[in-house]
Amino acid sequence: MEAEAEGDVSLREFTEADAEALFEWASDPRVVRFQRRDAYAHVDEARRYIIDHVLPHPWYRAICVAGADRPVGSISVKPTECRASVGYRVAHAHWGRGVATRAVSAAAAEVFAEWPWLARLEAIADVENPASQRVLEKAGFTREGVLRRYVVLKGRPRDMVVFSLVRGDREEKPAEEANGP
Amino acid sequence: MDTITLRRFDLADADAMMSWASDPVVTAFTTSEPYESVEPLLAFIRDTVLPHPWFRAICLAGDGPVGEVSVTPTEDRCRAELGIMLARAHWGKGVATAALKRVLATVYANLDGVERVEALVDVDNAAARRALEKAGFQQEAVLRSYCVVKGLLRDMVIYSFISTDTLVE
Repeated sequence: MEAEAEGDVSLREFTEADAEALFEWASDPRVVRFQRRDAYAHVDEARRYIIDHVLPHPWYRAICVAGADRPVGSISVKPTECRASVGYRVAHAHWGRGVATRAVSAAAAEVFAEWPWLARLEAIADVENPASQRVLEKAGFTREGVLRRYVVLKGRPRDMVVFSLVRGDREEKPAEEANGP
Repeated sequence: MDTITLRRFDLADADAMMSWASDPVVTAFTTSEPYESVEPLLAFIRDTVLPHPWFRAICLAGDGPVGEVSVTPTEDRCRAELGIMLARAHWGKGVATAALKRVLATVYANLDGVERVEALVDVDNAAARRALEKAGFQQEAVLRSYCVVKGLLRDMVIYSFISTDTLVE
């Protein structure tokens, strides 16, 4: 499948060989702070996660930068009815350079093209995670409101800001060369 | 206004339930299709309503049910979703508002771990929005292009009442 590219950020499918790279950010408490999962302690957990969760997932991509094959993060889109929700995580060493923003933009372009039934792409960010809120705003999402005590993270209910990108928000881009199915 | 009470459903309530479950005006804003016969409704009561963690019949002054209200836990154990339907003959009398207030006064004690009750309602469903607001729910957002209802893409308003919110009246 043709990798969707945005600046020097590209997305590709994961393989089991990416376990060590995934472990690097999945074991970092700073990266997993706002996620349900606790930090991994062993690379085998990352390998299991790729096999059991990533490979069967409807849409899960590795984020690569500057032409390097080793991923620096991941982004996934989970479809439900006419909408889908996007989640992402980037290794700490690559924070603050717009990697997540470009990955979200690339993922949005890809799923809106791939899924004609998709009307709404949504994301939630913890109220205490302004960096993630900025990613979504810069990627063109609209902040819709705060959902109080919406999810349990690390044992406590958290307030989450909800964002969306609807099909009507996206400008018509010139048709990209069609590749693959 | 008559006092409303909430009680568990019974299979014997199927005929009373048809009064709202078969009404296309009542189901217009929901993703449910109106029931055309009582047999599938009996199956719904047996398979969904009876085993449900919190599903109640809305009764007026000791009479039979005039509506239903449910609070369904989601994949996140702190959050549950509310659904309500009322027979059209009892619209416009404050029955839904009274039922919602009763729900909020009792449901948190019944559903372990739930701290948030939310309701999604069509932007154009003015009557339902008013009932939620009068019962003390807070509007949090308009979720754009949220779902397809009866073939049309709809914006839905999301309301919540969390366990520390103040009960109205």
